[in-house]
Amino acid sequence: MIEHAGHVPGLNRDALRWREVSHSAWGESATVALPGLEEAQATALCAHVRENARAHLKRMPVARIVDAIDAAIARLLDREHPLRRKAEHLLPIITGYDRETVRLGLTGYLKTFRKPQLLRFLAEDFANPGVLDGFQPTPKGGYLRAHGPELLLHVWAGNVPALSLWSLICGLLVKAGSVGKLASAEPLTAGWFASLLAEVDPEIGKCLAITWWKGGEAAAEPVFLREADTVMAYGGNDTLATLRAKLPITTRFLPHGHKIGFGVIAREALDSRKAPALARLAAHDVTRYEQQGCYSPQMLFVERGGKVSPAEFSRYVAQELSAIASRHPRRALSPGEAASIAAWRSAQETRAMEGTAELLGEPSSNWSVVHVEAPEALSPSGLNRTLKLVAVESLDEVAALVAPYRNFLQTAGIAAAPERLFRLSGQLGEIGVSRIAPLGRMTAPEAGWHHDGRFSLLDLVTFTEIEQSAEIAAEGFAPYVD
Amino acid sequence: MSFRDRAILVTGASRGIGAAIAKAFAAEGGIVIVNYRTNEAAAEAVAAECRALGGEALAIAADVTSPEAVAAMAARIAEEVGRLDVVVNNAFAPYRFDPDNRARFWETPWEAYEQQFEGAVKAAYTVSRAMLPLLQRRSGAAIVNLASDLVTRPSIPYHDYTTAKAALTGFSRNLAAELGPLGIRVNCVAPGLVYPTQASADTPEEVREMLIAQTPLRRIATPEDVAGPVLFLASDWSRFVTGQILHVDGGLVMA
Repeated sequence: MIEHAGHVPGLNRDALRWREVSHSAWGESATVALPGLEEAQATALCAHVRENARAHLKRMPVARIVDAIDAAIARLLDREHPLRRKAEHLLPIITGYDRETVRLGLTGYLKTFRKPQLLRFLAEDFANPGVLDGFQPTPKGGYLRAHGPELLLHVWAGNVPALSLWSLICGLLVKAGSVGKLASAEPLTAGWFASLLAEVDPEIGKCLAITWWKGGEAAAEPVFLREADTVMAYGGNDTLATLRAKLPITTRFLPHGHKIGFGVIAREALDSRKAPALARLAAHDVTRYEQQGCYSPQMLFVERGGKVSPAEFSRYVAQELSAIASRHPRRALSPGEAASIAAWRSAQETRAMEGTAELLGEPSSNWSVVHVEAPEALSPSGLNRTLKLVAVESLDEVAALVAPYRNFLQTAGIAAAPERLFRLSGQLGEIGVSRIAPLGRMTAPEAGWHHDGRFSLLDLVTFTEIEQSAEIAAEGFAPYVD
Repeated sequence: MSFRDRAILVTGASRGIGAAIAKAFAAEGGIVIVNYRTNEAAAEAVAAECRALGGEALAIAADVTSPEAVAAMAARIAEEVGRLDVVVNNAFAPYRFDPDNRARFWETPWEAYEQQFEGAVKAAYTVSRAMLPLLQRRSGAAIVNLASDLVTRPSIPYHDYTTAKAALTGFSRNLAAELGPLGIRVNCVAPGLVYPTQASADTPEEVREMLIAQTPLRRIATPEDVAGPVLFLASDWSRFVTGQILHVDGGLVMA
């Protein structure tokens, strides 16, 4: 069976050039057909989306959009719904993540897009979300209204299931006509969600499109890059730089580059009872999505002076990774990924021979933990369940150790008492950390979080402000003027 | 059940059950550390047999109740073998299983209990503590302690010996709870009367017949019978088993 990806309202699906890609994992295989558009089709699609958004989306109250998203998400959360079943069946084969990880990950993620969470999300960025529907009075006087982009282009990357929904929903909430470019590694969920939205509220369904092209090659690419007034893109810095270079200067570009996450464990969290439990949470953060997410930890800084030493804590983490592997087997690695782990391991092995590091886990294990006693700056791990634990004398050392990665910082998982949590968060915030999470929740941001420390909705809109003096001046031209 | 390239320490391995266990690991390709207290010639003979069986072997003298001696043994294992995957705490304080001349309770001095505690619990404690850093470096490490089915069914009340073995099973279960989160399993093998060994040489034929009559499998255990379950509990076959006591007595005790 071939699963056709994408959502292309207004176009004849039979007229598209479908590109078939086969995936296999866990002893099963699946073929996904990715939509390919000619230049003219791309132009027509952009026009269709923009015009429908202008005519419908921008004129409907945001509450109706919230209701439609809520209803579509409810279907994806319903384990009996055909699309949810299809997602649970196909996503493990396409992304390589084990079934349990996909199932639990989908539910945990999707439930952050129910109506209460969406309302909270709006309230997070707008003191009065009514500004999305019409002019609203401001405290200083005058009136304000927010406008989302006419045509918002999403360029997705990576294989984390359903990650595309985040930016897609942001765009819908600010009433942007949206075109999404699928990530080859997870090309399905965005299209499924769009088709559900179209089913729930056909008018909204015409205001978004999901398609695909090979970056830098397809004839359609220049059309999309020219037509969009705002581009939200994910990927490595090189990809983002190439993309930015192709955009008109007037296009607003919102990049989300690769990030590196880390954890910090304070001595007060390291007693005989709490340490093993924390190790389990840390292992969970490492395992979930195989450290492919921007929020995943690649290093843990462990403070000395607790009852459980950093060396002992590494062993607890190692055993938890070993235990988790039986429930959540690691996905099959590409040759590149395997080489990356081998290179990382071999560097750690050299250090272990010198006696400056302790390497836990065999080359055949599907995880590796290395522990060092000397302070060491943050550095990327080999990913796919490879983790370094660095012993530190005091939490105050951590900020300096992660500062070299300033431009790549985002999430820090912290286990510490309140006073030290705030002190450390202050230090980390100064060097660019934008999200503090507890261990165990690093890969599951709260609903309405500020991705990369930005306002996800506010960054998308422009405001039209009626200054108070304009309103007063208008009074002079009113038919009822005395 | 290959133990190729895996290192196994068997305490008290110069004779009897310990020697049988050492040889069984060697036959599966293991690197066996044959620990002994005094009988160097016997230990070297066991080591030679281990090599003949296809394994590697290293005989190391150490009184397992002496922290210094055990620390020196750990250092030697680290240096010469470089790894340790399995510890079999088999050594115990000298004891004669003599049903006709055993000390009855009111004849058993507290010192006799103390001596057995030293031989059973202190030895396992000392060896386990000293070897822990080596065991933690491996994934899938295991400790197997030799207990006794007399704990559950004191067919003949050897007060001091059996009470110490009972303490050893309690020790083992606590250790299993502590080391599980570190990936190390701890289990006990509890044999019934094993014959022939030096310690059981004084058990008369009549007593053996009495035990045999009550044993579903109709015989007394041999040292080789004990080795199999020890290998099982040391191997990946039992990777989800910890804190257990496996009776090896032909079904005399069912618990």
